[in-house]
Amino acid sequence: MTPWAHIPQLAFSGITMGAIYALVGLGFVTIARASQIINFAQGEFVMLGGMITFFLLKGVGLPYPLAALLAVLLVVIIGFLVHIMVVYPLRKASVPILLIATLGASIFISNTTALVFGTLPKALPAFWGNQPLQIRGIFVTPQSLFVLGATFLLLISLYLLSHRTVTGKAMEASSTDPLGADLSGISRNLMAFLAFGVSAGMGAIAGIFITPIFYTSYHAGTLVGLKGFIAAVLGGWGKNSGAILGGLVLGTVESLSVAFIPSGYKDAVAFVILLLILNFRPKGILGSPFIDSRRW
Amino acid sequence: MLPLWLLSLILPDPHLDLRQEARFRKRDLFYSGALFLLPLVCSSPRLHYVMVLAGINAILALGLSLFLGYTGQISLGHAAFFGTGAYTTAILTTRWGSPPLAAFWASAAVAAALAYLVGRSILKLKGYFLALATLGFGEIFLVVVREAHALTGGVIGIFGIPLFSVAGFSFDTYLKQYYLIWGVLVGLILFSKNLIRSKIGRAFLAVAASEDAASTVGIEVAHIKLGAFVVGAAFAGFAGSLFACIMSTANPEAFGLNLSVLVIMMVILGGIGNLYGPIAAAIFLTWLLDILGAYQEYSMPIYALILILLLITFPDGIGTRLNIRLIYLISYWGRRKRRERVDL
Repeated sequence: MTPWAHIPQLAFSGITMGAIYALVGLGFVTIARASQIINFAQGEFVMLGGMITFFLLKGVGLPYPLAALLAVLLVVIIGFLVHIMVVYPLRKASVPILLIATLGASIFISNTTALVFGTLPKALPAFWGNQPLQIRGIFVTPQSLFVLGATFLLLISLYLLSHRTVTGKAMEASSTDPLGADLSGISRNLMAFLAFGVSAGMGAIAGIFITPIFYTSYHAGTLVGLKGFIAAVLGGWGKNSGAILGGLVLGTVESLSVAFIPSGYKDAVAFVILLLILNFRPKGILGSPFIDSRRW
Repeated sequence: MLPLWLLSLILPDPHLDLRQEARFRKRDLFYSGALFLLPLVCSSPRLHYVMVLAGINAILALGLSLFLGYTGQISLGHAAFFGTGAYTTAILTTRWGSPPLAAFWASAAVAAALAYLVGRSILKLKGYFLALATLGFGEIFLVVVREAHALTGGVIGIFGIPLFSVAGFSFDTYLKQYYLIWGVLVGLILFSKNLIRSKIGRAFLAVAASEDAASTVGIEVAHIKLGAFVVGAAFAGFAGSLFACIMSTANPEAFGLNLSVLVIMMVILGGIGNLYGPIAAAIFLTWLLDILGAYQEYSMPIYALILILLLITFPDGIGTRLNIRLIYLISYWGRRKRRERVDL
């Protein structure tokens, strides 16, 4: 069988994974739009979402929806804690220090998770229906459709939050024009705090939706987080639509690459794409409102 | 925090006049003497071993200090150059039977050449994007090392790298390796000091302060950044070569993101724009990791917690902040004395 025969199937699983990258990328963008900070612990929220749901479902025995909801709440609280304990004390520090501090938070979260929940990989049961549907020769698991639907809903709610509410507009203002935001009485620290909560919540939802398809384990967060960031940069740094587009492109290309190069190199594909896009078009596919601003 | 404070007493202050770094001062003599005597006074093999590792980390931190500390650029891929050095030595000595000394120089050359190729395309980025691009380079390096079985031995790595030897003299104990590594480090410090004092070194500082201003006064910003990157990578190549000879193996686990984070941590804690600070921080953090190693699965969370606490407590580096306070105290004292003299 030639590699071409697998392409529709690979493309579909790539789009599923791409939706997850898009959600993670949206988390990065949410924080960056409110505070111009990049939180390298973002991937850990995804991992925690899956891990905590697994624990509540299997360990405590809560029903699935309740476990998922509680997990999202817990991860949002952890996101708030990351802001209060790491980012807020360093709000005036330079880029390398913030970078290393959030990476430190990421190391702390993943290793503490290993201590609490163990190092074995975990998988959640599917939400509904284990039987893959067959559509024109492509096997589609219902869970993949859930992932796509959730991405779409989250994108819409994020759009409504950032463009239709005062809080959302204040968040954006505190990043695009810090002085103006201060003058209009917006607390920039509060906005960054809220953004950490929102992005942690989105990360957790992404984690809950993806864990039935791909296993999660304590060190899975870092790579997902980095790829989400790459997705956001690829689509256009600072744009919600950019993160979505970048995520889908990245997921598809990564998945299709398996047909043509040895699968061990799959993880390098995202980083090669990153280096190419940063070299030839740092603005990303859709262009970025933030490039050439003060901090980059 | 008491040992940190004690540490800060002996660290030099980066805000002192640059010209003062020109001479080999009494303090340098004091440091070298203390380092020379340390393993003789305290003869525990564990101390020798940890200090050997600390020396390798110090070489890495010194190289990155030129790039991150002096030129003000971020690199999260420093471990890749370390790995390049280690694998170059491993391949040259085990496959081609070249003497370790030749492999030592070749490692630095290969690492520098790789840095030149990579740096040319990614150094036009700044801040977070540069960090992300160098991180990407580091990850690609790891994937390639894991997958290119024929060249690097894959996940298992390369075994049986011979000990470092020069003209038949083999560095076969930790004590000898200690002198080897800290000797190399002293040589690299002298090189860095001269570099910092030169026109190029002043250009590093100018680029760190403001790229626009630097280019206005005729500094080729891109060349200067690339130069600092390549020199830092060459240092990492030396460190990698020594590491491979001492561990006698090279495998991909040692060259991941954690090492890059650790090295950046050393430079930040040592103080930006300071040569001795990163070395002191390297010794401190290597000891910290060695002590934490006893707590097994608790070691990484504790380590991360300490990193964050240190960053929050000393965001400008341990050396810098405490020294500034100290210098204020001393200068206040000195001023009062002088004023009294003038009044009289």
